[in-house]
Amino acid sequence: MNRDALVAALREIVGARGVLTRPSELLAYSADGLPTYRKVPPLAVFPGSREELIRVVRLLAAEHHPFVPRGAGTGLSAGALAEGDAVVIGLNRLTQILSIDPVNRLAVVEPGAVNLTLTRAATPYGLHYAPDPSSQSACTIGGNVAENSGGPHCLKYGVTLNHVVAITAILASGELVTLGNAAGESEGYDLLGAFIGSEGCFGIAVDVTVRLTPNPEAVRTMLADFTSIEAGARATSAIIASGIVPAALEMMDGPTIRAVEASIYAAGYPADADAVLLIELDGLAAGLDADVRLVERLCRDAGARDVRIARDEAERARLWQGRKKAFGAMGRVAPDLVVQDAVIPRTRLPDVLRTIHAIAERWGIQVCNVFHAGDGNLHPNIGFDSRNADEADRVHHAMREIMRACVEAGGTITGEHGVGLDKLEYMPLIFSPDSLDAQCRLRTVFDPERRANPGKVVPVHACREWTMAPAARASRVEVA
Amino acid sequence: MTATTGTATPVRTTADVVERVREAVARATPLRIVGRGGWLDAGHPVRAAHVLALDGLTGIVDYTPGDLTLTARAGTPLAEIARATMAERQWLALDPFGSPHGTLGATVATASAGPLAHAFGTPRDNVLGLEAVTGDARVIRGGGRVVKNVAGFDLTRLLTGSWGTLGVITEVTVRLRALPEVEESWAIATPDDPPTLDALLARLRTASVAPLAAELLNPALAARLALGDRPVLLLRLGANAESVRAQREQVAMLGDARPAPSEVWSALRECEPPGAAVLRCSALPSRLPETWALACRSTHAVPDALLHASVGRGIVRCIIPPGALTLGDAIRALRAFDGTVIAERLPAEHWFPSKSDPVRDRLARDVARAFDPHRVLNPGILELAP
Repeated sequence: MNRDALVAALREIVGARGVLTRPSELLAYSADGLPTYRKVPPLAVFPGSREELIRVVRLLAAEHHPFVPRGAGTGLSAGALAEGDAVVIGLNRLTQILSIDPVNRLAVVEPGAVNLTLTRAATPYGLHYAPDPSSQSACTIGGNVAENSGGPHCLKYGVTLNHVVAITAILASGELVTLGNAAGESEGYDLLGAFIGSEGCFGIAVDVTVRLTPNPEAVRTMLADFTSIEAGARATSAIIASGIVPAALEMMDGPTIRAVEASIYAAGYPADADAVLLIELDGLAAGLDADVRLVERLCRDAGARDVRIARDEAERARLWQGRKKAFGAMGRVAPDLVVQDAVIPRTRLPDVLRTIHAIAERWGIQVCNVFHAGDGNLHPNIGFDSRNADEADRVHHAMREIMRACVEAGGTITGEHGVGLDKLEYMPLIFSPDSLDAQCRLRTVFDPERRANPGKVVPVHACREWTMAPAARASRVEVA
Repeated sequence: MTATTGTATPVRTTADVVERVREAVARATPLRIVGRGGWLDAGHPVRAAHVLALDGLTGIVDYTPGDLTLTARAGTPLAEIARATMAERQWLALDPFGSPHGTLGATVATASAGPLAHAFGTPRDNVLGLEAVTGDARVIRGGGRVVKNVAGFDLTRLLTGSWGTLGVITEVTVRLRALPEVEESWAIATPDDPPTLDALLARLRTASVAPLAAELLNPALAARLALGDRPVLLLRLGANAESVRAQREQVAMLGDARPAPSEVWSALRECEPPGAAVLRCSALPSRLPETWALACRSTHAVPDALLHASVGRGIVRCIIPPGALTLGDAIRALRAFDGTVIAERLPAEHWFPSKSDPVRDRLARDVARAFDPHRVLNPGILELAP
């Protein structure tokens, strides 16, 4: 089927307005928040119902045509970009919250339902959806499933994996399958666990059953400020080691604080501090203040100048707004922003942050750190001007060195943004050829033709069968 | 045929496992993989001539208390991990049923969980990474040693609960937690009729209590644990002193609550007599009273059947002592349940297939073929059709 025939067949399913073909219309689907990757897809289709989604995938299956599922496009790893002739399947019209069961604390949602919308729908029942990526006002549950997304509060409550109990998925073959069990224990292999975080390479979630979490009885939000990053990192390690599990434990460094305070999102952070920790404790009301006192003492012992406790909901919301909008605030500082994502063991925070600072100085770039300190999940951000080739090159080198430093500290290359295209080159740093090959084999089980989000996650050239058997390689066409 | 032959040379390293798997492939002699071999022998017929025991592959490889993570070889007993972490006032919050001498590898391979799953989840929620030897003798690693990780496809979740059929797990990294400052347990006398039980559980859901575990016990099990001869709801509280004090007051308002000794939890873990048949019925937690009533009815003809339910998770576990003449009847009655019925351990002649779904079954078979192409790892234990 040629392109025109494919467009006609897709329009037959979703209507004329559900298929975008002009480059000007497709521009919005050419990136996912990462300025270093841009690719205008050849075609994007937007099913308006579950049935339409199923028919679209089955049509592409019959044509052996590749596709890329896309939620809100906030993934930051170039995972939602379409390469070659892959068709983007936009899930933004499948936004329904199909049911909420307040007694069993479950909700069934369509993949395009926005994360925050789900929490708002659960609010009347005193419940919320716990994973809360910073993009939660835009990102979708389907995208969260694909990336196994986290967020500040996953320190205590866990990531997407821990909150999804069942998924109805459509495989690239067009077959529907239920993974997991919403009403009881699951038997056999944990294919649900394998599907979550598979970055759209294993199929598309048609509906997702998630666990809802009771709103905590009490919440205390604190801001501790430090005159050095290291002191903030020491406080983080001390809190984690104490055994208190904060709902969230976020750090922002001096450059981030100043960017936030100069923006419309000003949160009242002390502008002369070199680090602040935003710490939230929640749970049953009784005993919570004892934990607050201990955390305050640990911060002061680590060198905090001041520890402030939000007096009311308004102050709490303001403190959080600065954190959640920090990326937006940094956008004012430079034309482009690379948001990195890596995880290190929490005891290594002080020395790795020192190393990142040294790397930034050596390459003459400005790094802002705003991150989930409690998990050891770093987000070094570099503002730059992509029109300046020399600067862009230095940014790239610095990023590579930062990733290597994190891996050498015992860490990993992504904590929540996924591999996509951006992290492909780092995969061999943490996985052996045999481990990468096992991942390839797993993908092939779900999608033998490797048509779902081709080219992402596993660098095929680094797998053992690829490196060890050049003759075999030459004899076949590799699409993954 | 079940495995009978013992190990020639004990396995001490991952390389030894690779060697044993390679041999098994070369000689076409499948392996029955076991931890210490005395625990969680599911009784499911495994067609293997040789046993690959991992009880020599022991030891904690890395433990950094400040990171709350621990890496140990698969044959390390849970009791050894408990000892090491206790010294730092930390714990691995997994308490699978059976002896504490069971191994970390077996816990993860079988995804076994106990009462603490109420608050801390099952192995899939606590395992951060692992190393395994696949059926074609390759060493693979999934995950890592950090608490958050989305790099690559999730081999860790895939291998967890795969019963050794996709790879011999050789090393595991787990998430630890700090031990609660104060712990105490309470037993609440519980009504037997479903509506009253339902009302009690509804009050528990909305009370200002955050138990670490909440298990309902039938009279036989309550008696065995010296908690009287009526059904009881056993709650485990753990938090700072102030919180536990407030929760205790809430528990007192739920009903006739009496303190229970902390040892009651290890007694519960080890209550099943050797050779017992064990089945689990599960459905939505809101249906727990109904599931419980069904389990009680189905086993009423079995003398000394021990029943307990993880009320927050909607799971009822039925322990039927060996030699019960009415075992077949009990299994038939339990299987009539419209929820999920899983056999944890059964005499081979009573084993029944799990629910089938054509697409999911095909995915499972293809995964098994991809990771164990020669079918040398625990063949038959998951009853995948060839």
